[in-house]
Amino acid sequence: MDSSKGKKQKTKLSAMAKREEKWGLLFVAAPALGFLIFMLWPIIFAILTSLTTWNGAKGFAGMMDRFCGFDNYIKLFADRKFWQTLVTTIIYLIGIPIGMILGLICAMGMNRKIPGVRVLRTMYYVPVISSLVSVSILWAWVYNYDYGLFNTIIKTLTGLHGPNWLGDEALIKVSMIIFMVWKGLGSSIILYLAGLQNIPRSYYEAAMVDGASGWQKFKSITVPLLSPVTFYILVTTLIGGFQVFVEVQVMTPSGNGGIGYSAATIVFYLYQKAFESYQLGYASAIAVILAIIIFIITAINFVGQNKWVKTMD
Amino acid sequence: MKKKLVSVLLASAMIVSTLAGCGNSDSGTTADNSTTTDSSTETTEEDPNEKVGAQIEVDQSATDSVSVEGEYSDADLTVFIYAQDHEKAVYQSLIDKFMESTGAKVTFEVTTADEYGQKILAYKAAGDMPDIFYVGPDTIAANVDDGYLLPLDDYVPEATINDLWPAITEAYRYDGKQAGAGPIYGLPKDLSTFAFAYNKTLFDEAGLEYPDPENPYTWEEFLEVCGKLTIDKDGDGEIDQWGCANALQWALDAFIYTNGGHFLNEDYTQVVIDGQKEFIDAFQYFADLTCKYGVTPTVEQDTALGGYQRWLDGQIGFYACGTWDVGAFMDKNTFPYEWGLCAWPTGSTGKSMTRNGSVGFVVSADTQYPDAAAALITLFSTDLEGQRVLSGETTGASLQIPNIMSYAKGDFKDRIADGTIPYGENVDVIFNYIEGTDKYEGIFVELTYTYNGDWWQEFLSGGYEYVLTGEKTAAEYCAEVQPAMQAALDNANDMKAAASGQ
Repeated sequence: MDSSKGKKQKTKLSAMAKREEKWGLLFVAAPALGFLIFMLWPIIFAILTSLTTWNGAKGFAGMMDRFCGFDNYIKLFADRKFWQTLVTTIIYLIGIPIGMILGLICAMGMNRKIPGVRVLRTMYYVPVISSLVSVSILWAWVYNYDYGLFNTIIKTLTGLHGPNWLGDEALIKVSMIIFMVWKGLGSSIILYLAGLQNIPRSYYEAAMVDGASGWQKFKSITVPLLSPVTFYILVTTLIGGFQVFVEVQVMTPSGNGGIGYSAATIVFYLYQKAFESYQLGYASAIAVILAIIIFIITAINFVGQNKWVKTMD
Repeated sequence: MKKKLVSVLLASAMIVSTLAGCGNSDSGTTADNSTTTDSSTETTEEDPNEKVGAQIEVDQSATDSVSVEGEYSDADLTVFIYAQDHEKAVYQSLIDKFMESTGAKVTFEVTTADEYGQKILAYKAAGDMPDIFYVGPDTIAANVDDGYLLPLDDYVPEATINDLWPAITEAYRYDGKQAGAGPIYGLPKDLSTFAFAYNKTLFDEAGLEYPDPENPYTWEEFLEVCGKLTIDKDGDGEIDQWGCANALQWALDAFIYTNGGHFLNEDYTQVVIDGQKEFIDAFQYFADLTCKYGVTPTVEQDTALGGYQRWLDGQIGFYACGTWDVGAFMDKNTFPYEWGLCAWPTGSTGKSMTRNGSVGFVVSADTQYPDAAAALITLFSTDLEGQRVLSGETTGASLQIPNIMSYAKGDFKDRIADGTIPYGENVDVIFNYIEGTDKYEGIFVELTYTYNGDWWQEFLSGGYEYVLTGEKTAAEYCAEVQPAMQAALDNANDMKAAASGQ
């Protein structure tokens, strides 16, 4: 019904409003063109590339000369490393719920009027605004076998030598997850904090009058009313979680993906294929599959949100 | 219904930003690479001079005497290479002289070794190649197959080529099928070799005789000496000085080839490590140095602090020394020890083997000014004054041995002898590897001759560390990893066939 109303109004536009509309269109055109040139075309180009064995030679024509149909996709499904890195990527996603729960707990703590809370909020946000490369290098040292912070603490407390955090196939994954949770914590805290401050006092006051316990208030007011924030964090971190790259490149010894490729993610593998062995077609096929996976997961999230995301109205 | 539509739209917007994110992370991280402290890659050919870097000041007047014949006033050349600051200064001054004496216009673009590969890829994708750029021996064939390179035989005087080390000129020849013969496509920027070095101070402390370059150690002798150098210096019950430290990715070759082993068959179509005695014995000996005899730091200790740092810290008796390392090792602030060059220990062939490396200047097949471009790369590669700067005669820090054979064997060696060029003892070791003798041989490893390095990456990412820790034998690992290596090699050969078939 809204749209029909809009149509009626449009027919009655004055000459001046029409001029304004033209200008308006021009302003809209800038981002729209930006989208076409910098988003849509690269996507189409990536899909085209994925159907070739192009290595970058001879420009666009050279690429079309090397058309190979769906060969790359067929190879991909039989590629052990593709599956290995996909599984590793999914394992890393375990960090997302952990980070969300920790973020919510911290946000609730920081939502009180305690002295120094601003300093605390800033501190937790520092990792978010720091360069990913620098904090990755920092954490590689935190995990260092002989000189790292963790193993120094373990040695001081127990007298035993700590584990090789980045040198063991299973432990390196745990180490990466701990790092990613630490890195992402600040942003979920900020978002939850904003969400918490948006919940009207009166809801809690009403609950208090009804004699609700702290847990009941948390369960029935805080959690449901934070669900839009939770949903936003979930969707964005899931998408980001599938694109982990820098951490692996920087934190594994000589950037080799860890012992037996155990820390390598799918984007890391994509990068090696594209820029180390120049198989741009194959790498694009990985990118397309990755995009499809992300699309499906995001779509599931959006479809599923009706069941649990509540709004205040 | 409407809400669903919004959802789908939002979802697509997020996917789009996802893809954009991909691009960002890719392009962002190459720059990042250069900031990582990476102990094991400091000795790869790509960035040989990283460590010495900008400490060296180049005297611009050093290249004043250059003269170039020819008149190329209509030529407009673009040069795109990677270089450290001191190298850039050398090539810039050569370009200035070239422009002055020939009237040509030259645009000089420099990037880092880390970014070079991606940038040249972008040039190729755009179909707009610089007139002069770098190609290594490992990608000469692929570049020729793709039609990028100009054969230089008609443009560079034969005498010039003949005064370069034969080992390098061969590396830049390709006849359309095999590398090593046919027209020459590049002139070397450098020829490097990966020699072995020992810490004389530690030998003195242990009361050991220095290694004799005339008689390379056998593996048994090497192990014995390493054992004597592996000690607990401060008496706290933990070993803190080791005989040697070898990172597998660059040191394994020296053990495999001296034992007559090889990764691939003769025409580079089959991976042949599974069940190959020469290879497996060499790999097992290499691993035993760590897991059985304990004369190297353990795998864990190596991840904590790499061999390079330990060597600089005086914890290591023997360590690899590339020609590009000499400047740094002679700098007392970096390495406050006396040291000398020696041979890698010898396996069953009795010949000490190591890898040579190089990167070369090439001319684009599309250049409009082949004469001018060839003249300029000849100047880059063989100008005597430029070579004096890069090999350390002018600066006192040697980053490469001279490309010009007559200068290398003459003045260069004399300047080392009289102390003008600081160099580790026994420089002949370097010459032996480059020229080859009955006891020494430097080679371009098999990786040089395959279409890409994926098969080698498979070897590195299959968990070879378990052999070094003793959890697997070399034989088990080779059997396990060979199929993946073969698949990668097959794929590379398919790509090669597709490229040369066009």
